[in-house]
Amino acid sequence: MNAKGLLRLIAIAVILMPLGGCWNSRELNELAVVSGIGMDLVPETDEYRVTFQLVNPTSTATSASPGSGKPGVVVVSATDKTMFGALRRASKHVTRQLFFAHTQLIVLGESLARSGINDVFDIFERSHELRLNSAILVARGSDAASVMKLLTAVESLPALGLVKKTQNTSRVWGENRTISVFDVIKGITGEGDLTINAVKINGDAEEGKKNSNLEQSETPTKTMMNGLGVFRQGKLLYWMKDSEARGTEWLLDKIEETVINIDSEYKKESIAVNVIYSRTEVRTSMEGGLPVFHVTIAEEGSVNETDSFVDLGNREEILKLERELEKQTRDEVMQAFQKAQELESDIFNFGNELKRKNPQVWATLDKDWGRLFAQGRLDLHIKGYIRSTGMSLKPYIPEGK
Amino acid sequence: MRKEVVGPSQLLAMIILFELGTAVLVPIGLESGHAVWLSVLFALPGGVLLYLVFAHLYLQFPGQIISGYTRTILGPWLGWPVSLLFLPVLLYNGSRNLREAGDLLITASYDKTPILIINSIMIIAVMYILNKGIEVFARTAEIFLWIVIIMGCICILAVIAAGLVEYKNLFPLHMSDYVEALDSAYPSIWIFPFGELVCFTTILPQFSRSRKVKKTGMVAVIISGCLLSFTHAIEMAVLGENLYSRTTFPMFTTITLVNVANFVQRLDALVMLTLIIGVFFKLTVYCYAAVAVASDLFKVTDTRRLVIPAGVVMLFSSFVSAQNYSEHMNDGKAFLETILPVFCAVIPILLLLIHLVRRRFGLYR
Repeated sequence: MNAKGLLRLIAIAVILMPLGGCWNSRELNELAVVSGIGMDLVPETDEYRVTFQLVNPTSTATSASPGSGKPGVVVVSATDKTMFGALRRASKHVTRQLFFAHTQLIVLGESLARSGINDVFDIFERSHELRLNSAILVARGSDAASVMKLLTAVESLPALGLVKKTQNTSRVWGENRTISVFDVIKGITGEGDLTINAVKINGDAEEGKKNSNLEQSETPTKTMMNGLGVFRQGKLLYWMKDSEARGTEWLLDKIEETVINIDSEYKKESIAVNVIYSRTEVRTSMEGGLPVFHVTIAEEGSVNETDSFVDLGNREEILKLERELEKQTRDEVMQAFQKAQELESDIFNFGNELKRKNPQVWATLDKDWGRLFAQGRLDLHIKGYIRSTGMSLKPYIPEGK
Repeated sequence: MRKEVVGPSQLLAMIILFELGTAVLVPIGLESGHAVWLSVLFALPGGVLLYLVFAHLYLQFPGQIISGYTRTILGPWLGWPVSLLFLPVLLYNGSRNLREAGDLLITASYDKTPILIINSIMIIAVMYILNKGIEVFARTAEIFLWIVIIMGCICILAVIAAGLVEYKNLFPLHMSDYVEALDSAYPSIWIFPFGELVCFTTILPQFSRSRKVKKTGMVAVIISGCLLSFTHAIEMAVLGENLYSRTTFPMFTTITLVNVANFVQRLDALVMLTLIIGVFFKLTVYCYAAVAVASDLFKVTDTRRLVIPAGVVMLFSSFVSAQNYSEHMNDGKAFLETILPVFCAVIPILLLLIHLVRRRFGLYR
């Protein structure tokens, strides 16, 4: 081989080295995959205690079912003034470098939520590992750390389990919706206020950390979705539950499917209507210096159960049920709206809508929006339709019961 | 040696890839708020007219690149220094693209790799293909156009399927929005990316069917303008005005949000590939333009000998010119407002006017 050939060979070898892309390679066996992050405020300081739920790679193999052997996750905490500081500080406890690209869930502790959450989300925008579409929850009546430590049945990764729980209940029950970090940032930067799904621990949080908690058919300690936390200026103010929470989702056009029990002639709340479609349209206007919110809700449902007599074969009866459905919906929506007005917290994004349609008017309202919102009027129109009655028309229950 | 030729479809592909290059990735026309897509459409007619100026100059002086006819029109004493000024502008603006690509790669995944390594790999590819000649480059563009279009379609479909697009973020448009859109369209979007077509004055002499030059170029500019407007509209619709104005790379942030059925997600790699392909073509065109101008001015017969010096200058200027990304952006803004319009629009238009006057009154000897 002559000198030129040798030179070429060397050049190729040198170029090949960087092309491998191994400069800052991070191998899977050197990573600790973070599935969930819990954020708390250390009492009487402004330090964050950040709790990481790490996937335990050996025990999450498909063969190992939850409740057998080692738990699927390992939880570590670290305290620092900043999120990033805390997550690097956690290296003191963990054998591998934390890896955040698969973080599914962020949980905020109640004390942090009460003192204000506006400042904590910058890292989610700035970091290339953390994702803006991680789900977010606020822990009701506990700190985030204990939610993170709780083991769940059925799902081996508790964080993923909680995300699925949120999605599941949002899909069929409608008191919650899937809320991501991105939505929260939009809420903070937008003109209104925001709500975040609440999660509550039922039972003893200490017991929930143990695998033995899962060794019964009914787990003594478990997490449960618990309505919505209402924030004003980034501070948690109020917990919305049941119909208030559902009314909020209705005004936000986030109802996918839900169940409403309506009254029949003979028995209160005895007909279950499954709302399978709902659309909410919002327009805003100003009348005499006060905002008016024109909301139109169109919903479609089917009768899935009746526990008292109603002649579902009769068109007139169905029309009556539709009016009843509208009334029930109106009731829930009004509850949510009145509560929000009471709190002076525009959680329905009405402010954004007003600003979008009428930026000039908005400029004069901006400073005082909370108070103006509280004095605003809701002009609510609801159209309810019942499209089907399931596999039967008349129930077997005799007339008059 | 056979003269290298570029066909119409190849020119079309080159112009589209060049226009999309970095402009789809960085936020453009920031002043226009949520009407950024409208600004692009407003700037489009200006871009087409500008291209027609370049094409007309080429038709008047076939076979000459910009530095050639500058000297013919202005005379050698004035023309030579004016042409020389193009050289640093082309090199610097090319290096800016390199910097942007390198910075995105570093912030998005290669956080510990020095920018020198990333940028040199890219510039080596550029130098290699220019060594092969412009014809090879044009054929590459033809192939890569399809790859970019397919990847773009996948990305856009995924974003739409994920239900992220909110039209509310784009409408309604008020009178003030139209004014702002027009404001940021001229000159800023008109110059970047449309004005940058000035580079193609050095490629047009290689064009095989000079009769089609205006039509091909116009079609390419219009297609790329529409694609650009559409992409930015999608980004704006997903991110909203607030986040769009804060992110360094809106397209990247947009794509990280995609999650279709917990299955189609993390399409970041597609964005990265689009970026690398786009920057590669943009960089190569700039590098080629600089080399062509230099060899014309200094009468170097073998242009390939200038490729390596030009590439090395670009590589170093890409990371020496600014210490951090903010400085880079500030420089870019100043550059876009002061120097670039002169070279992309003012000089070519003046050249055309002077040429028309001189020809009209028979002032050519």
